[in-house]
Amino acid sequence: MTEFTLQDQIRDRAKQLLASEQVKCVIGYEHGSRGQVRPAFIHQINDVDSLVWNQGCTHNLVTYLRDIKGTFGSDEHLQRVAIIVKPCDSRALNVLLAEKQIEREHIYVIGVVCTGIVEGAGYAGQSSDKLQTRCVRCSDRVPVIYDLLVGEPTHPEITDDYVDLTELEAMPPAERAAFWLKQYERCILCYACRQVCPGCYCSTCMFERDDSLWVGIAAGVKEKEAFHLGRAYHLAARCIGCDECERVCPMELPLSLLNHKLAKEVQRLFHYCAGDEPSQSPLATMLAEGEEFPA
Amino acid sequence: MTPYLGRLVGKKDLGTDIKLLQVELVEPNGKARFADYRPGQFAFVSALGIGEAPFGIASTPSGNGLLEFGIAKVGSVTAALHSLEVGEIVGVRGPLGNGFPMDEMKDKNICVLGGGIGGAPLRPVIRDILDQRSDYGHLTILWAARNPSLLVFTDEYDLWRSAPNTELHVTVDEGDEEWKAAGGNEGLITQLLETIAPSPENAVTITCGPPAMLHFVTLTLHELGFSLDQMWTTLEARMHCGICKCGRCNMGDKFVCTDGPVFRQDEVAGFLETYL
Amino acid sequence: MKYISREALQTWLDRLANDVTLIAPRLVDDILLYQSVSSAREIVLDYTRPKMSAKEVVLPSSEPILFVEKRGQEVSLTEPSSGAQIIFGLRPCDAHGIAVLDTVFVGQEPIDLNYARRREAITLIGLSCPQMREDCFCTSMGGMPNDPTHFDVLLTEVEDGYAVNTVTDKGRTLVDHLNLEEIKGEPAEPIINETESVLAQEHWPDLFADHYWDLLAERCLECRMCAYLCPVCRCFDVQDQVTQQGISYSKYDRLRCWDSCTGTNYRVVAGGHNPRATKGQRLRNRFFCKFHYFPVEYDHSGCVGCGRCIEACPVNIDIVEVMRDISRAFNASQISNASPDAEKGVTA
Repeated sequence: MTEFTLQDQIRDRAKQLLASEQVKCVIGYEHGSRGQVRPAFIHQINDVDSLVWNQGCTHNLVTYLRDIKGTFGSDEHLQRVAIIVKPCDSRALNVLLAEKQIEREHIYVIGVVCTGIVEGAGYAGQSSDKLQTRCVRCSDRVPVIYDLLVGEPTHPEITDDYVDLTELEAMPPAERAAFWLKQYERCILCYACRQVCPGCYCSTCMFERDDSLWVGIAAGVKEKEAFHLGRAYHLAARCIGCDECERVCPMELPLSLLNHKLAKEVQRLFHYCAGDEPSQSPLATMLAEGEEFPA
Repeated sequence: MTPYLGRLVGKKDLGTDIKLLQVELVEPNGKARFADYRPGQFAFVSALGIGEAPFGIASTPSGNGLLEFGIAKVGSVTAALHSLEVGEIVGVRGPLGNGFPMDEMKDKNICVLGGGIGGAPLRPVIRDILDQRSDYGHLTILWAARNPSLLVFTDEYDLWRSAPNTELHVTVDEGDEEWKAAGGNEGLITQLLETIAPSPENAVTITCGPPAMLHFVTLTLHELGFSLDQMWTTLEARMHCGICKCGRCNMGDKFVCTDGPVFRQDEVAGFLETYL
Repeated sequence: MKYISREALQTWLDRLANDVTLIAPRLVDDILLYQSVSSAREIVLDYTRPKMSAKEVVLPSSEPILFVEKRGQEVSLTEPSSGAQIIFGLRPCDAHGIAVLDTVFVGQEPIDLNYARRREAITLIGLSCPQMREDCFCTSMGGMPNDPTHFDVLLTEVEDGYAVNTVTDKGRTLVDHLNLEEIKGEPAEPIINETESVLAQEHWPDLFADHYWDLLAERCLECRMCAYLCPVCRCFDVQDQVTQQGISYSKYDRLRCWDSCTGTNYRVVAGGHNPRATKGQRLRNRFFCKFHYFPVEYDHSGCVGCGRCIEACPVNIDIVEVMRDISRAFNASQISNASPDAEKGVTA
């Protein structure tokens, strides 16, 4: 089984990195309770053998680098952290690198060749053999950034057909609006979608400002709509499509459809795919020194 | 959770972004509810349409339903309260919390230590003592702020200084030209405390200020020979109800709103959580 | 036992739905929730556990607690009123949760009038669980899948119908006129899971400073899901919302909305200081609140063992695992106190 090999390779490198004190911590996966796989933070060599790699490793661990300074020491004393990434996750690294949220020298990237994650991964008693939707359409089998590549690279001929969007795109606007409002209605504003997202790193979310500048604290459908649409637009050309937001949603909002639609438009208009390169999103504009906003 | 209505009848600057708001309760119910309250108790003041926030009551019961609050502009509610015009209506909910046990302090020497806006809930303590001056022993007031513009109730210094058996010492972390020219103290309140060195004999201390100040004042007092059960403090916490329902202000198994906000330092030392 | 047939139950529920706001397990986009129904047909009777607890019926996720009207300089305040509601199909853990909320909001002075007003008009009709889910642990938290204690009426499924246990006077007024038939026999006992041992509240402080909390929190995402799904978590935030604003006339709602201690800025005070600055401190508060603070303040655990947080947590922070870890760590510390060479701490 390749999976055992990959897992062994991950453990071997984790041991080396910790033993040589090249990294302070290895962020990977471990077995949790009730047969679940969960994120693991390995600080000691003795714990390395709890690291696992299998098709249940759904979590995008890059999200734990958002607050790398807060978590792993101050600016001056930041110690290097090793992180295990799937190809999709690795593209989130590029987003954070481009946006100067992390520095390349602060991370050691163990990239894993991925053949897809199964549905129900990360939860108890729900694992199946069926691949997640995002994995079925995924052509990235090799991480875009790594220090160590684990696994044999393959390059399957798959192109995203956006078939998940067909039904929604065919709806007349009013019907589509009604569909989304019905979804938002269920939202409980637990903010898990935001918290799990590597791209959502603002220290105070604009939708949670104490002064209610953009939305109030009411849990009404208007507030929920503003939050989800606002988040989707903030992630346009930045979302790398890991769909963790959808996975973690306790109310099963189909959030991937929002993000995927925007990714499609960004691809169409700008020929840009978030995270392919450590480059700023084409939608991020800023004025250079001396430049003025066009009248 | 429904406030009493009050009319803003006075508003004056206490310092940079700090105002004293005078509120007159308009309903008989509200007046009755606030007919009596203790130094150290607090109330929620509403800027209607924005929200409410808790403030230590800076006045002593006047019998005419007049309340005073020293309010620093730090957030949306306080900004809204600052921008109110005299005559406008606010909401007031309280009095809440335990307050200082003034009876237990009778006949004792008292050292009051106020830092910045933390001086506001201490003003009624000082007033209470001065109003019944012979009931208490010696009163030492140590008054501090980061800079001179953040010192509160400066116009009452003369009143405090002239009271019998009372001394006032003021310091700022960093003085401006005027302050320096006048020979004002510069340095932390703990340094001032070390210099004044009040005797722990038959004495209690009452402190209010930012968390770091409380912490270091406690250490200094300890060095001066005060034991934790001689030190009283009033704590600040984010809260939304004041009646131990919202769950916000817990420090370990204690609620700042109903178990406090006034605590003795030996109680605080026993809490699972710290305010630091 | 008193007995109601399936058909008679349907008729009764239809009438209740007609007379009052009837809240019952209902599918909303394939997700089972306690929500208002207009007829018995909408009610799902074969279910394990709705996704959300029934907390939102007694403590809505966002509700006005005060209406403010401003005409010129004249201000008038109105408190909201609340109509009669019946929750049908409530599981015993959820009723237990409401009972704990009752203790917090109306069991201690000063009482929360807003909660009291709404709660008084709510009747609880329960449905026993025939068995526990794998992640259920109500029996470890003082409950039972067929515990009638916190209901007004509890139904338990029997052949072709339900056994009816009328618990309170409120329940009696509802059930009396149904002229239920008395039949022989008792409903079957539920199948229950093995009981977890919960470390006694007085021992929790021994583990307050343990490194365990920081390690546990490493994977915590700091979302609020666990608190929002929890039947007991009750923290709230209050803010005003403008509903109408004009020169001479304005209206505001004072809203209270759910909040959670796991959020980063939950404890931040004016001026920016955060006394619970680390994730570990915040997650620790969640568990201490349930197993130490609640028992101390309210003489009752802050967890009813419904298992929702276990099912939903996307990073597998499992409250039962935490309970086991803490018990094990405490026992280990007792042993290590006896022999000083032994290792200490949960992680040892």
